[in-house]
Amino acid sequence: MTWFVNIFKVWWDELCDIVRDEGIMIFIMLVPLAYPLLYAFIYTTETQRDLPVCVIDNCHSARTRELIRKVDATPEVMVRGHVANLAEAQELLKRREVSGIIEIPATFDRDLAHGRQVVVGVYSDLTSMLYYKQLLLGVTNVAQDMNRDIKVNNYLRPGTRREEQVARMPIDFEHVQLYNPQGGFAAFLIPPVMMLILQQTLFLGIGMSMGRTRERNRGLVIPPRSDYKHVVSVVWGKSLLYFCLYMILAAYMCVVVTRWFGLPQLMHADAFFGLMVPYLLACIFLGFCFSAFVFRREDCILLFVFMSVPLLFLTGVSWPGASIPKVWQWLGMLFPSTFGCNAYVRAGTMGASLGDIRHEVMALWIQAGVYFLLACLMYTWEIRRAVGRSVLN
Amino acid sequence: MNNQSNIKWWSAIGKISERELRSFAKRPIFLVCMILAPLFFLVLFTSMMNSGLPTKLPAALVDEDNTMVTRSMVRILGSMQETEIVARYDNFTQARQAMQRGEIYAIFRIPKGTTEAALTSRQPCIAFYTNDSYYVAASLLMKDMRKMSEMAGIAITRETLRARGVSEGAIMPILQPIVVESHPLGNPYLNYSVVLSNLIVPGILMLVILLTTSYALGNEWKRGRQGKLLRMAGGNTWVAVVGKLLPQTMLYTLLFWFIQAVFYMYLGFPCACGMPRMMLWGFLAVLASQGLGLFFYELFVGEMRMALSACSLWGVLSFSLAGFSFPVSAMVLPLQWMANLFPLHHYFQLYEAQALNGYPAMYEWPSIVALVGFVLLPVLLTGRLHDGFLNKEYVP
Repeated sequence: MTWFVNIFKVWWDELCDIVRDEGIMIFIMLVPLAYPLLYAFIYTTETQRDLPVCVIDNCHSARTRELIRKVDATPEVMVRGHVANLAEAQELLKRREVSGIIEIPATFDRDLAHGRQVVVGVYSDLTSMLYYKQLLLGVTNVAQDMNRDIKVNNYLRPGTRREEQVARMPIDFEHVQLYNPQGGFAAFLIPPVMMLILQQTLFLGIGMSMGRTRERNRGLVIPPRSDYKHVVSVVWGKSLLYFCLYMILAAYMCVVVTRWFGLPQLMHADAFFGLMVPYLLACIFLGFCFSAFVFRREDCILLFVFMSVPLLFLTGVSWPGASIPKVWQWLGMLFPSTFGCNAYVRAGTMGASLGDIRHEVMALWIQAGVYFLLACLMYTWEIRRAVGRSVLN
Repeated sequence: MNNQSNIKWWSAIGKISERELRSFAKRPIFLVCMILAPLFFLVLFTSMMNSGLPTKLPAALVDEDNTMVTRSMVRILGSMQETEIVARYDNFTQARQAMQRGEIYAIFRIPKGTTEAALTSRQPCIAFYTNDSYYVAASLLMKDMRKMSEMAGIAITRETLRARGVSEGAIMPILQPIVVESHPLGNPYLNYSVVLSNLIVPGILMLVILLTTSYALGNEWKRGRQGKLLRMAGGNTWVAVVGKLLPQTMLYTLLFWFIQAVFYMYLGFPCACGMPRMMLWGFLAVLASQGLGLFFYELFVGEMRMALSACSLWGVLSFSLAGFSFPVSAMVLPLQWMANLFPLHHYFQLYEAQALNGYPAMYEWPSIVALVGFVLLPVLLTGRLHDGFLNKEYVP
């Protein structure tokens, strides 16, 4: 019973400490609340539409005008204007007025009439990979459509409407973009970023609170209070506070943010709890372990902030996990975010059940267990040190 | 007289820098954050994206038809660059479950009766499903599978044309009269690593600079030595600040140049404008980040923690707003303006225009002006900083 009271006392002490500290509040309240919204706002347009390009039409025929008109009509590309030659087009590229060039050869019409292939050149700025993708997609779609027209009208000469349809595409095909109906960036990047925000802000919050305690107690992690005598009550008291707070924040991200920005959310309650409980515990206990290295409160900002970007890559969501070298995959396995992000993407975005993500959940429980033991060891040592300096009695 | 005071300035700056270097030696955190971490991330990113473009991404096949024709389609798909058929399933549900378990990124599905319908001109429909919550992998697989589907139809028409007696040489112009030839400018191999490493590694370094600038200054207040620092500088704020930050400037510039040397000389990334030009922009980027870090510190003089928080909140956003993976031009208008407030955005613009595309520097004058602006930004709040030196205490 006493240890239960002790856990509650530690919990209450921590709560009072954190609420009074605006530096910690920024990282464990403001960032988790505001940054998902900010990131969702950045990616809310989902993809590049109407990429400005210029056209070098060396042929000037009805058919090339049809090509240009159709390219302009695609959602991906917008024809900003015509130029006379490549040099002029390059000038526009340099001034960033266009992001691509379409070059139509002078022999376009004649070659087609003679039954020869013509090559349309597409030059794309690689400032962003998305430019390349959109431009190529837009022009290829139009070219394939016109190819079918030419093929059917000039050579196959179908008799009926149905025959024409079949002749255009003897085998039809369909591309289904699963789990991301807009086919854009928001549904792809926001879920892993939200999970990463949970982890990173926990590291920062726990680290700062640790640094602050050390500064106040002349290097000791344990404040001079009798309820801090037992490892278990210290570790559980502290972690329960972060756990309660972060369960609410996780629910906010999974429910409120996804709903506001229309992101896919197929997670069931059992998967939510089955995933978030081990994820948050693993993050919290790892945060305790890391905080052993934080001696001054500001240090942890220096230590943890720039880890965010590499950790996002190590999750294998943005850069395909299958092509990450093994060494880095193992390194990624040390962090809860690697399993957490993947499990969340699969359960939240793709509607996987708790059974489908059981490997990740297992890994998170293992991490939580290992880091819990490490955190206990760390605190045992710290409590001994505090007793040695007779702060605790 | 004037000459004499000049000498004093220089010696004061030298003394303060020496004091700063000694404080680096005492604190391992400086060593870890300033040197080891950027170098570690250099190795991490360049080796992670070693292959350039991800290849052989796992996909699954649901071939319900299973004829000679569909098997040859599958063979062709399997030989494509991005696709590796790692599993075959009897039905779509099994494949979808495998996708939800995270084993595959895409499913290629050939329904029962496809061959028969194709041969009897009943236009069958094949389908491919990509998992777009893994956007990069899905886009790459989509490209292959689309090409494969297109080719399947073309193969049928080819047989029809052969049966009509069209000569082999005349068939391709009928099947594909207009060919689209793509020329990715500046990066013909579509090597992701070239652009991504060039954004992220300098980006991390610039974030570290932003943070350590505030941190180093804040430490003076934290240890209550700001008054001593100002006395060493003879009461001149700028002598104190320059002396304090000069060792970092030199260290970071060398580090930046080392990173650039690894990129352009060791890894052979394109650098159309030549190394010296990029080294100049690297130096400017270091100064700009320091300027911004100093500006944030001036905003919260003495409140090191708030300054560091502001730096980190600002700094992590710069990766999104630099606009490589998601271009700035696709964002809503306020964010397009906001992107200009990040030094990384301007460094990246300079990089892509000059190193990647080889355009003359004059086209990027706005970015150069912006970077210089960041360097000069802290001058605006000189008075506040000076006041902070004299009257502000460390606020925990």
